[in-house]
Amino acid sequence: MPKFLMLARDDGSAFAALSPKEAEAIIGRYIAWSNGLQEKGHLLGSEKLHDETGKTVSRSGGSLAVTDGPYAEVKEVVGGFWLLEAPDYDTAVRLASDSPHLDFGTLEVRQIHELDRG
Amino acid sequence: MSDAAPASGVVDGLFRRSAGRLVSMLAGRLGADRLDLAEEAVQDALLRALELWPHRGVPADPEAWLHTVARNRALDLLRRETRSATLLAAADRELAAPAEPTTAARDEVRLLLLAAHPSLTPRARVVLALKLVAGFGTREIARALFADEAAVAQMLVRAKRTIRSSGIALAPPTPADLEQRLASALDTVYLMFNEGHSASEGELAIREDVCVAAIRLGELLAADPDTARPEVFALLALMSFHASRLAARIGPAGELLTLERQDRSRWDRARIDAGLRYLDQAAVGSRVTHWHLEAGIASLHAVAKRSDEVDWRTILQLYDRLLELRPSPIARLNRAVALARVEGPEAALEEVRVVAGHPALANYYLLAAVEAELQSALGDSAAARDALARARAGARTAPERALLDARIAELGSQAEREPPSRE
Repeated sequence: MPKFLMLARDDGSAFAALSPKEAEAIIGRYIAWSNGLQEKGHLLGSEKLHDETGKTVSRSGGSLAVTDGPYAEVKEVVGGFWLLEAPDYDTAVRLASDSPHLDFGTLEVRQIHELDRG
Repeated sequence: MSDAAPASGVVDGLFRRSAGRLVSMLAGRLGADRLDLAEEAVQDALLRALELWPHRGVPADPEAWLHTVARNRALDLLRRETRSATLLAAADRELAAPAEPTTAARDEVRLLLLAAHPSLTPRARVVLALKLVAGFGTREIARALFADEAAVAQMLVRAKRTIRSSGIALAPPTPADLEQRLASALDTVYLMFNEGHSASEGELAIREDVCVAAIRLGELLAADPDTARPEVFALLALMSFHASRLAARIGPAGELLTLERQDRSRWDRARIDAGLRYLDQAAVGSRVTHWHLEAGIASLHAVAKRSDEVDWRTILQLYDRLLELRPSPIARLNRAVALARVEGPEAALEEVRVVAGHPALANYYLLAAVEAELQSALGDSAAARDALARARAGARTAPERALLDARIAELGSQAEREPPSRE
């Protein structure tokens, strides 16, 4: 079955200044959503990326450049991802459209290119 | 499917409870002058959970996870604040000690007693207890107390500054001190409960949360050997009886319902039973506090199966003792209601006229509302309508006004049936 990567982007401010109860309610919504993905056999994995650190490595004219980031100057940063299995793009997009993350940022849905599918 | 989702895997209420517990733990170990640091560390731990758990799932022991993260964060913050190696080593040692359930509860009790310090205003004590021990956010406190969020934040800043500048410590109060501090803590808890209990426009959910939080703080005091006094159980009984009627006291049109008009089948039986158990536990020793008497009165309302089965004679006796112990115009007004049932409206009206002059009852809508009921019982519907109009003018919330509007309409339709007696 095709695999999809859901990249979660947000500007990092959505969760600031929440009360404990509000924070708990939001976690509950995420967990309910990912439990739903799991139960229907869509969820392959999920990871959170560190927000505070990150390096961009590039080479121009033979010299290696390592810069901090990307953040600060970028409005929305990839904060984490979910790896899913779904029969097609439409299904993957539908699964994303149920996500509570849309209240706090965006989800970029990309299909993983597999060798045997050309 | 995500909107009404239950917090699957997250224990309901875990964050609020953990916030109170962790702030208490950190403040207990780092000192009352580091309350801000404790709060920041806990807030950061919750934020970390919010970032990680949606991806990695809820840890096997979420409380222990939050504890570890908050503790490490507190040490980070301390390192930023001080370069003193001795201080850091001491903090490290303090924070390394594992959290035993008993010490955790004691830390919470100490923080509650700190929040109830007499150098703070009564309202600041409630706000502080809600924020620090009950795990409420500033915005939630503002909504529950019908206050401005900035004003609540300001009150918190000022209260913490007072605590720092007066050098109020989190150490256990001396036995002599404890007496006064516990009394103040009980007042704070009950004030908190009443803030949640007094019906107001909308937002019933958050107000019920405040009632539940107040009961939990009472339970904390009841579970600590230092503070488990009979009057604590009496207060718990009182709050349980009142809480049993939370759902029943608002009518279909959003109007406040008086006790007689409430559907008693909607009273929460479990809370009434809890109240009766607490009342039993309060009946220890020979000291009868005003909490005992108030709980006794509330219990007689709670156990009556029908409104005409209320034991008004005993209620009147309890009010008499309450007034001896703690005279207050509001208690006297409530006593007048009982007096009307036992001796008739005339005697009660006499009492109402006496308390009416008290400045504490100026513009108090219930005073005029009680007067209206008594006048109506005496057949003077013109005077009753006049009193209702005054009550209506003094009512502060929509449910109160709806209650009075309903009464005014009732009196009006009565007047149509039997022509009003005019002078």
